[in-house]
Amino acid sequence: MVALAVVLSVVVLLLAVLVAGLLRSHADILKALHDLGVGVGEPGDAHDLTGSHRTSGPASPAPVPFMTGPPLPGERNSTSAPTIAGVAPNGDALAVNVGGGGHLTLLAFLSSGCATCAGFWNAFQRPDELGLPARTRLVVVTKGPELESPAEVASHVRSGLLVVMSTDAWTDYEVPGSPFFVLVDGESGRRVGEGVANHFHQVVELVRRAEVDAREMTLTSRGRAFSDGLDGPERELANDRELIAAGILPGDPSLYPSTLADVYGVDAADSAVPKRPTDPPDATDPTDPSDRKSDLQPTIDAPIRMAG
Amino acid sequence: MATIRAHGIEAPLPTGFEGRIFLRPAIGAEVTYPVAHFATFSLPAEVGDFGSGAVNLMGVSDIFAALFEYGPESLGKRLFERQGMPRALTTVDFRPYVLRRGLGGQSGTQWFFTETGRPFSLYVALGSHLRRSALVPRVNGLLANMAIGSPTGPAGAYAAPLAAGAGAPWN
Repeated sequence: MVALAVVLSVVVLLLAVLVAGLLRSHADILKALHDLGVGVGEPGDAHDLTGSHRTSGPASPAPVPFMTGPPLPGERNSTSAPTIAGVAPNGDALAVNVGGGGHLTLLAFLSSGCATCAGFWNAFQRPDELGLPARTRLVVVTKGPELESPAEVASHVRSGLLVVMSTDAWTDYEVPGSPFFVLVDGESGRRVGEGVANHFHQVVELVRRAEVDAREMTLTSRGRAFSDGLDGPERELANDRELIAAGILPGDPSLYPSTLADVYGVDAADSAVPKRPTDPPDATDPTDPSDRKSDLQPTIDAPIRMAG
Repeated sequence: MATIRAHGIEAPLPTGFEGRIFLRPAIGAEVTYPVAHFATFSLPAEVGDFGSGAVNLMGVSDIFAALFEYGPESLGKRLFERQGMPRALTTVDFRPYVLRRGLGGQSGTQWFFTETGRPFSLYVALGSHLRRSALVPRVNGLLANMAIGSPTGPAGAYAAPLAAGAGAPWN
């Protein structure tokens, strides 16, 4: 009986040592996790989200990287639209310049394997039925051959669909995942919208709105001839027609303003130009009428989210 | 500066240019060779080797350039005796009548040459002959850094696609 009691005591003692060891180990694990940053993001630690490393005190969390990809080159920002360079699924080389010209470019960042992308790939098999506004160019961008199967991508591509395989483009446009759409205005060379969608008709509707917005801004700021893409003598002729339609004939005094009041009216000129209205406009003078056009330019500094 | 490379041609593209380097699918026993197109406007999906279907879309400030490779049977021919691609064109090189498709106001130039053992033709069309003094420097900016690899050299994995796809005789 005594022997049994001794044995039980020893067993209990060993179990106690084991439990103590486990508790100690658990405490070490929790401490290690805390040092690795677990707990960052809690309200009390909000000031540490910059990734700065606290060196005072043992509970300092390790810096947590918040970059999801390599940093953008210095000359780029969240609205820049660099050229997309890569390869076609058959190995040909491609570069698409999305800036320049008066058209919109819709970039569809897709993968060959994602389930949601399948609907878009299917829709792109019938480009005539997409319903995109005229002068809108559709470019599908997948990751490069090192991360995507060219054969899989090729199986989705029909003739006439422009597909560029470029991992760099995903980085340049900060694409979080697929599917993802970016709308680029060629005239400004900037991204004017980006986001995700479940169905292509959602994208088409948002592209239409963006196109209408852009056209209205262009008409307001640059004139119909410019928005219609006219240049040279054709543009002059179109301007002449508009002037004649407005009753402004050759020799009309309004074509030869001598003061700002002739351009903006007496009231407007007085309010805008408190100083010498008869002075010739200075090149750096903010009241220079040639600079007033810039007030009407579209100033989109941040991308418009197209859909959530 | 975006760079594209394929079929032994490498082209860093100046701002405003887009481009393609491709091999047309062979029909029957036909052997096709690389073609490169460069433009300052949006290239349509289907473009002829020397720009048909594209040059008619050019504005007065636009440029179209085509680099077309010929087969090895052209090597040594007098037409291709010039060694090296012209890299610095001048305004006098462009003539309104040197156009594959005569479009009013446009201007063109064409050169035949051999580089690294490959016979080529370079064809460049300008949207406006009158604006050639402004456009030619942009053309030269494109040509300056373009590289052509030898048929068996390291430039842009040239040997592999031809060996597999077109079966060029020197491979």
